[in-house]
Amino acid sequence: MPELGRKGFGLLSILSVLLLWELICRAGLVNLSLLPPPSQIAPALWKIVASGSFLVPLGQTLGMLLIGYTIACVAGVALGLLMGCSDYLYGLLEPLVEVIRPIPKPALIPAMVVFLGIGAGMKITMVALAALFPVLINTLQGVRGVDPVLLATARTLGCSRLATIRKIILPASLPMILTGMRVSLSMGLVLVILAEMLAAESGIGFLILDLQRSFQVRPMYAWITILAAVGLVLNVLFEMVEDCAVPWRAK
Amino acid sequence: MAREITGQINDGHLERDLCMLSLKSLSGLVLTAAFAAFASVASAQTVRVNYIPITDVTPMFVAIDKGYFAAEGLTIVPTPSTGGAAGVPGLMAGAFDVMYGNVVSTMLAQQQGFKLEIIAAGTKQYDNPANTNGIVARAGDPIKTGKDLEGKTVAVNTRNGIIWLFARAWIAKSGGDPSKVTFKEVPFPQMLDALRGKQIDAAFMVNPFFNAAVTDASAFQFVAAPYREVQPDVEVGHYISTQDYFAKNKETMAKYVRAFRKGVQWYNANLRDPDLVHIISGFTKMQPELVAKLDLQRLPEVVNLGSVATTVKLMKDNGLITGDIDLAAMTDPDALK
Amino acid sequence: MSFAASLTSAELTAKASVRRRLFGELARTRLSGVILIVMLLVLWEVSAARGWIISDNWPRFSAVLAAAYHGLRSGELGEILGSTLYRMLAGYAAGCALGVLFGLLLGSNCFLDWTIRPLIEIQRTLPSPAIIPPLILFLGVDDTLKIFIIMLAVFPPVFVNTYGGVRGLDETLLLTAGTFGLSRFDTLRKIVLPATLPAMTAGMRIALSLALIMAVIGEMISGTSGVGNYLMSMQYAMRADSMYAAVICLAAAGYLLNRIFLVLERAVLHWHHSMRMS
Repeated sequence: MPELGRKGFGLLSILSVLLLWELICRAGLVNLSLLPPPSQIAPALWKIVASGSFLVPLGQTLGMLLIGYTIACVAGVALGLLMGCSDYLYGLLEPLVEVIRPIPKPALIPAMVVFLGIGAGMKITMVALAALFPVLINTLQGVRGVDPVLLATARTLGCSRLATIRKIILPASLPMILTGMRVSLSMGLVLVILAEMLAAESGIGFLILDLQRSFQVRPMYAWITILAAVGLVLNVLFEMVEDCAVPWRAK
Repeated sequence: MAREITGQINDGHLERDLCMLSLKSLSGLVLTAAFAAFASVASAQTVRVNYIPITDVTPMFVAIDKGYFAAEGLTIVPTPSTGGAAGVPGLMAGAFDVMYGNVVSTMLAQQQGFKLEIIAAGTKQYDNPANTNGIVARAGDPIKTGKDLEGKTVAVNTRNGIIWLFARAWIAKSGGDPSKVTFKEVPFPQMLDALRGKQIDAAFMVNPFFNAAVTDASAFQFVAAPYREVQPDVEVGHYISTQDYFAKNKETMAKYVRAFRKGVQWYNANLRDPDLVHIISGFTKMQPELVAKLDLQRLPEVVNLGSVATTVKLMKDNGLITGDIDLAAMTDPDALK
Repeated sequence: MSFAASLTSAELTAKASVRRRLFGELARTRLSGVILIVMLLVLWEVSAARGWIISDNWPRFSAVLAAAYHGLRSGELGEILGSTLYRMLAGYAAGCALGVLFGLLLGSNCFLDWTIRPLIEIQRTLPSPAIIPPLILFLGVDDTLKIFIIMLAVFPPVFVNTYGGVRGLDETLLLTAGTFGLSRFDTLRKIVLPATLPAMTAGMRIALSLALIMAVIGEMISGTSGVGNYLMSMQYAMRADSMYAAVICLAAAGYLLNRIFLVLERAVLHWHHSMRMS
């Protein structure tokens, strides 16, 4: 089926959900002050987009997300590879990773504020810390899951450790790594919004909370829509990167 | 019962047994109905109350503890939350019936079309010898008036909230320009750290953090008490319900307010009572030693619409709301007397 | 536990007994990790005791331990943990079930993929903190809301990994199934499911920690019970030592859950080559 037809389906389902939403509101089944229909949210959305006032908060949120995410990905892949290939490093770091991982990062805010303050640094660290683990775990799992036949072949051909990592392990684990990075992207977005809600004066997360607090629900939903769009765009971009990086993956 | 029906196939007994059966079930039904009626009269009407775990809501817990609510036939189900804005959606959704919130939040909601009803007074800043909240800065910093704060950063727990409002009002009153001051949102527990770490220059704190700051003279200094200086009789918090719920449950609300008021009276009369320390420690989870150190202030028994109106005007001046709010229409007349 | 990536012949031949592996190398290699943690804790204690760091939110580690002891003895910590775990497991189960279901369905059926995936993408990319206010409307502020939030967080990784696993299936396997004339259902059961299982469990493992995290976050925002609520109230009561004690218990609980999961995973996936080498 042509690409257009595929996208068409998707669009159709989104539109039907919106229609349902509109009908539910019109039927009076919900309190309109708390859940306005799309027809009321759209003008608020248009106002924000047309005036360009969405650019600054968007830039701030995306900026923090991208910095934190990049750090998390680089560190996650590096650590994952190291821990996967070296027993010693695995033994050294695994307990620490397993101890920090289950702690919800917002629970660490009091400690982080003590060391990093309340500024962008603290928030980026929170984002990076939260996004680190899915990448790390998936890289580890990917490295572990490398077909032993491939490794035996490498040994037979006399490949060095580094070459083996570069030419066999990394490409073989790439699908897993990319899946992990994908999860990390969503995690990172959640954390950046949460961080902005907890201690910020700007950014999309802060705006949504602020509008909720002053009960301006229509602009609030407009911003949530923008956030959803941002998330979608990020995902589409990621998928494009994924297609380039692992074209050999069976589709 | 099924056994009685199926067991007695014997013709002669069947009629009699059926009779007995119907009598039994009928009497059972009557008894149940009677019990239910009796139970509903004697048992409690439930009122779910949402509160913020700060000392301002102590009278409600006093009233629970001393049985004032029970005497009126009410069972209170308290649920804690983090604040007014978090609570209003829950209130509108019917997750609870009454909530303690701040005046600013209520007015903002009212302006956006939420129909709320003020049913009881919550917190009023009285002329107390001791302060329970205020602006704090680092010791040694030359900050005495609003003018000194221009170009500096002040921490408030939430922007566009009552603390922010009064911080701005005080800055204006003491000769400064609020628009030249940067306001940063910092949760209360983090304010001391941010102040120490020089990321903010001043913070508007409440207890127990305020108390911790002002008792540490080597690190911090008290600057001002905005509530006291801007609007001494400001009503910071109050109890609200929805106009809907209020209209449908006038009697319950009347009982609630009566019992609650008794709680306030007991509270005001026993500010130093160890029993009170115990109650406060219970719902705030603060250690009793810490509670004993706090300076508790009297709480009001009635709502003063005049002071609420002043606050509303402040909100207007600071751009929080546009237009007017009919305060009398949204207040329970009982709350005023 | 050694890895396929290690190239010593001992590992490759996989002859060493499990017991030696588990208690010999395992204990030895992990010991360094434990020592690292202990050293960090000592650093914590010293920095607080010596006044290198002054803050109400940085108590001495010994104070935290004392608070933990009191909390556990009085049953307070146990109670809040139980409350959180109950909600977490409920949301986790629901999220996993849905994630696997949708992952399998959408991974194998084009039509469903095109229609439903865009909606899932929107849900997945929308951060939960942003949709909590509307959710409160429909679900109130108690357990239902929190379990729902947990489910919303668990669903994406399980779905994505399952979906990825199905899509990444080796064509040869499917062609072989075709050659053998397997029915659609049998293909699903005997080929697709087992082949995707490792990906599924990887997703479920990630989702496990996510579930715990979201359970606590949900409790921080509203409610009367659970660890999240305890963390907030301890902060506002200026009892940072109790707060950290709860965080430690949370970390321990999360660690244990993960270990249990690994054991279960190993039992289920013992035939897969990623497990064979360990």
